[in-house]
Amino acid sequence: MTTSTTSAVYIHVIEDVIEKVREEFVADGGPGEKVLQELQGLWELKMMQAGAVLQPSERPSVPKPGPGAAITPVHDLNVPYEGTEEYETPTAEMLFPPTPLQTPIQTPLPGTADSSMYNIPTGPSDYPTPTSNEGVGASNDIKPGVGRPSPYMQPPSPWMNQRPPLGVDVNVAYVEGREEVDRGSSQPATQDFFTGPTGKRKRDEFPPQYQGGGYIPQQDGAGDAVGDVFELEIIQSKPSGRSGTVKVTSAQQKESSSRIPQLDGPIPDPYEDMLSTPNIYNYQTVNEDYNVVNTPAPDLQASTPAPPTQNDLDENGDDEPPLNENDDDDLDDIDQGEELNTQHLVLAQFDKVTRTKSRWKCTLKDGIMHINNKDILFNKASGEFDF
Amino acid sequence: MCLTETLDEMVQSGTLSPELAIQVLVQFDKSMTEALEAQVKSKVTIKGHLHTYRFCDNVWTFILQDALFKSEELQENVSRVKIVACDSKLLTQ
Repeated sequence: MTTSTTSAVYIHVIEDVIEKVREEFVADGGPGEKVLQELQGLWELKMMQAGAVLQPSERPSVPKPGPGAAITPVHDLNVPYEGTEEYETPTAEMLFPPTPLQTPIQTPLPGTADSSMYNIPTGPSDYPTPTSNEGVGASNDIKPGVGRPSPYMQPPSPWMNQRPPLGVDVNVAYVEGREEVDRGSSQPATQDFFTGPTGKRKRDEFPPQYQGGGYIPQQDGAGDAVGDVFELEIIQSKPSGRSGTVKVTSAQQKESSSRIPQLDGPIPDPYEDMLSTPNIYNYQTVNEDYNVVNTPAPDLQASTPAPPTQNDLDENGDDEPPLNENDDDDLDDIDQGEELNTQHLVLAQFDKVTRTKSRWKCTLKDGIMHINNKDILFNKASGEFDF
Repeated sequence: MCLTETLDEMVQSGTLSPELAIQVLVQFDKSMTEALEAQVKSKVTIKGHLHTYRFCDNVWTFILQDALFKSEELQENVSRVKIVACDSKLLTQ
């Protein structure tokens, strides 16, 4: 499982650690020598089960004299053969490496920097300057600048562009609605404008959920309660384009101006008036639940009104899974990939990392590799990767 | 790894105080680096397709695909491997 040198180094490290913490153990208040020996015994036992250390009986045969020499004195000091006795029992276990092997593979990860590395989002690490200090400075400077704008900049542009055409109609409709709510008729235009965008932003903030719903156009079209108006009207005329919906809404709003204020309110009555088919009732109940999302509405619109709720569910089911599954699969692949990566792991210190175009070169030193269930130690390593 | 497991067990069973366990871990880090510097002389070359690179908090992380590890003794092929490296200058300080 392990090269003899690696095993020797591990044994040496164990001895070294035990030796150097002995003071702490034996000192006043310390648990004492016995606990120290227990620690060493357990540790070595686990190392052997992991296959990281060869059997203690093989220790003398370790090629490197250094660790071997170090071992003997330590064993004189410790209770030397208690350890060996413990080792001999596990030797049988050594014959069945697979099961014990898995534990050591996973355990090192949480202890090392890996866990933190996972949590840290991948920052823009495209630094031409490889040196650590320069790289740090660059990272601090760049991250806030480059990282943030893109996510936040994108949402505004869509609704900014889409809003104006909708806004006009919406305002008209709202004037009447607002008046019922006892608001000034002159103000509604601006107020609507503000309320609209806020509703818009809220939706932008929760994109994943809505993507879960899976209908982008609905998000665009639906401002607040206004979205309901659009949807209902769409149901009748089934326009494909967004501009079409706008026209329809304006026309129908004129026709049924008295109903529009009711539409603003949560009461389902207006819907009933406009669409007398019973299906819509079902749809409305559904829609109340998913009010913000508005996803079910278009489905109904597109589909025949006959079995509305079922169709909604079915269509949603049909449409959503591909979207969600695709997303999830991608994420899952990445996650699984990351987890799988941990099976082959190299821990080291870097001397320098340089990049020329897509060609990366790095020099590492004093590292441990766990690859193909083998532990390999190295003093220096040079890597050449193409990205 | 094995040491942390051992320490965890002993701390939970009450035979070891957490403070002492930390000291042992710190000592392990020191001993391990010393041992790596003093006893390991092997040189390894790594080649592969760089899938991910990141440099955060002075730690480089590379995820390689189809990586080839070569040393004097052996040669290993790995479909995916993760390399985590911290700054050697910071450790020596």
